[in-house]
Amino acid sequence: MRVGRIIKHACIVVGALITVYACVDPDTDNPGSYNEWLSGGSQTIFDNGAGAFSTAFPSMTEAHEAVHEAGDVAFEQTFVTVPSPVNPGLGPIFNNVSCTSCHINDGRGKPPVGAEQITSLLIRVSIAGEDSHGGPNPAPGFGVQLQQRSVYGKTAEAQVKITYVEKSYTFGDGESYSLRFPTYELQNPYTSLPPGLMVSPRIAPPVFGLGLLQAVAESDIVALADADDKNDDGISGKPNYVWNVLEGKRTLGRFGWKANNPTILQQSAGAYNEDMGITNFVFERETSWDQPQYDGLSDEYEVSDSLLHSVEFYIRTLAVPARRAADNVAVLAGKQIFADAKCGACHVPRLRTATDVAFREVSNQVIYPYTDLLLHDMGPDLADNRPDFDANGQEWRTSPLWGIGLTRIVNGHQNFLHDGRARTLIEAIMWHGGEAAHSKDYVRSLSRSDRDALVKFIESL
Amino acid sequence: MKNTYTKVLAVSTLMLFAACNDDNENGSSVDVTLNTAVLDDFSAAIAQATYNDLAAKTTTLYSQVLELAKDGATNTELDACRATWKSARQAWEQSESFLFGPVSTDNIDPRIDTWPVNFTDLDAQLNSDNEFTEAYIDDLEDALKGFHPIEYLIFGENGAKTAEQLSARDIEYLKGLALNLKSLTSDLDESWDPSSSGNYHTIFTTAGSGNSIYPTQAAAFEELVIAMAGICDEVANGKIGEVYAAQDPTLEESPFAKNSITDFTNNIKGVQNVYLGKYAADGRGLEDMVRAYNLGLDNDVKLKMSTAIEALGKITVPFGEAIKTQKTQVQNAIDAIKALQATLEEELLPFVKLHSN
Repeated sequence: MRVGRIIKHACIVVGALITVYACVDPDTDNPGSYNEWLSGGSQTIFDNGAGAFSTAFPSMTEAHEAVHEAGDVAFEQTFVTVPSPVNPGLGPIFNNVSCTSCHINDGRGKPPVGAEQITSLLIRVSIAGEDSHGGPNPAPGFGVQLQQRSVYGKTAEAQVKITYVEKSYTFGDGESYSLRFPTYELQNPYTSLPPGLMVSPRIAPPVFGLGLLQAVAESDIVALADADDKNDDGISGKPNYVWNVLEGKRTLGRFGWKANNPTILQQSAGAYNEDMGITNFVFERETSWDQPQYDGLSDEYEVSDSLLHSVEFYIRTLAVPARRAADNVAVLAGKQIFADAKCGACHVPRLRTATDVAFREVSNQVIYPYTDLLLHDMGPDLADNRPDFDANGQEWRTSPLWGIGLTRIVNGHQNFLHDGRARTLIEAIMWHGGEAAHSKDYVRSLSRSDRDALVKFIESL
Repeated sequence: MKNTYTKVLAVSTLMLFAACNDDNENGSSVDVTLNTAVLDDFSAAIAQATYNDLAAKTTTLYSQVLELAKDGATNTELDACRATWKSARQAWEQSESFLFGPVSTDNIDPRIDTWPVNFTDLDAQLNSDNEFTEAYIDDLEDALKGFHPIEYLIFGENGAKTAEQLSARDIEYLKGLALNLKSLTSDLDESWDPSSSGNYHTIFTTAGSGNSIYPTQAAAFEELVIAMAGICDEVANGKIGEVYAAQDPTLEESPFAKNSITDFTNNIKGVQNVYLGKYAADGRGLEDMVRAYNLGLDNDVKLKMSTAIEALGKITVPFGEAIKTQKTQVQNAIDAIKALQATLEEELLPFVKLHSN
């Protein structure tokens, strides 16, 4: 989207870099020549509007820009039922019809409100045990993901009904707050649901900045891990090692709510396949394969290798919005609270990408994603109780916080966490449990103004 | 393009000198009263006016479809539907110069303007016994509802459908689609209506006064200019550029009504509307801000907008044909729209940032 903005940014960034450096005191923690305003290092952009997540890396070659643009067009392409002259191959069962219809404005999805259709939330399913690669064990008749829509003449696998129960709590200062506990009921399954079916709802996450996260050295991520909590800080941090289809072995997972995907390419290819029913060179089979609705046609790949690569490149080269108001007094107070509450033990503010001579745009950048890309036990209230490779049923990957304050303008909502159950940032914090319980309790004990400052800080990211 | 780099760098460098001024974040003069008026008038004279017009036209379209459905369709009735479809389309395409807020976040855009149409499923629907109730249509896939399936049904594959060729099922489906379009565009109209709860008018016009979506007025102005540049990008690189590069007329949007060039022109006219603050009534627009400080930029933006519109006007055959037979004109239009986009991004955007708080 808005791909043409690429060109201006080369200059804007240079200018803004100069501007930022000219007036802002260097972060006292950061004696180096980098700056925490620039969340994405040199691939930071300065768009605070609806397009904040949709802007290309500011410093790419024209050839790279062309690939990014091709990927942008493909990201917005709506697939339809075969046969069709344009974009055939949808389904036969699917969750949505294009990348952008879940990742609206390259941003964050939300659960349906009232009678709305489910558009940007999907349900992963499996039964007890593991598949041959140590991943989730596909549910007979359903696979590892529920497709709740179908082309004409086929039947959706099931419908999803979400109901919420509100529970009330109080902060230390006596102010009350409420959390809504969701339950997911699968209705009208096309065939009987297997006993012991495990269900894990996942909201469409924002897709910007992923190229920088992919560029962080594996050793740096693993160095942050402390699976047995040897340093006794109550925070473990565990890498997930997941099946890498192209490499044919398990490698470090970085993407997805449970760090269950190793690369942007596999994540994108999987989304084409599972979410839209579009086969490709990474995932060659229809999701209905081995199921009663499989049409038996051995189709050609429904998205070409080059288009899949261009979509991968598009996502890889979506830049990160700069921070806003990072020197505001309340924001700085909130930053201190973020540190005091030890949020940064998992939401690690700063990472550095590895040197990459082949793709200098992401090479050796200091970035501020506020994640360690590791799994943490988040307690029983958030648990999906569905293991995913090395992630157990209570573990989730630390979500990056960069750009989170722009969710409202980009996506028009404030729904956070893996299934969008939190309706504000403070609710999202108060859902934390497990390893994060101490941090949550710390926030609960804060005064209203301190809580507001913490939220202001997070919104400035 | 090298010269434009230099210009932006110059503006950015100016910002360097300006940025340390304690009195004002930009260090340049800001007319808050005028700026507030421009934001107010954008909401009233552009967003509300355009969406209101769109909703009125789709309401007319629905009533005309009902006429079509009553005691035998006539060609006169069908022509009336086509004319109204085109005029509703005009309002919609002009509104695409400000694709932010509820139209995007409430997912209204894909539900009324998805391309391509899913013909396979559409045919299956027409051949089925399904009852096209309001709820049933609302539940359909985006590629089965909105402007383009309606276009297909009333214009036919080559744009020459007659009333006689409209089947009973066509008309049943058309009724459902027209009602659905009417109701979605009414939602859109309401979303900016100052009297409806949670409306975007209030959010947009209170930019800079404790508003969490637009913490500053500058953020609202950025939103406006980036949206204007965004539609230029979409038209130049996507709607025209992709089809032209592929030399594939099947990729064309609005092929049945042969309305594509009109669509593109309305997109750019939408940019002009926002700049001038004028749709039906003439309010204060970005123009008024720019004219106060930089007549050269004002002239440049206006020249680029009219050049782009003129360049599109020089394409004299339907777009699907033009990509083969009028390549020069198509390329000129792409270049003119890209030039407008560059001016918006590289000059107008820094300008509004400098002259707002």
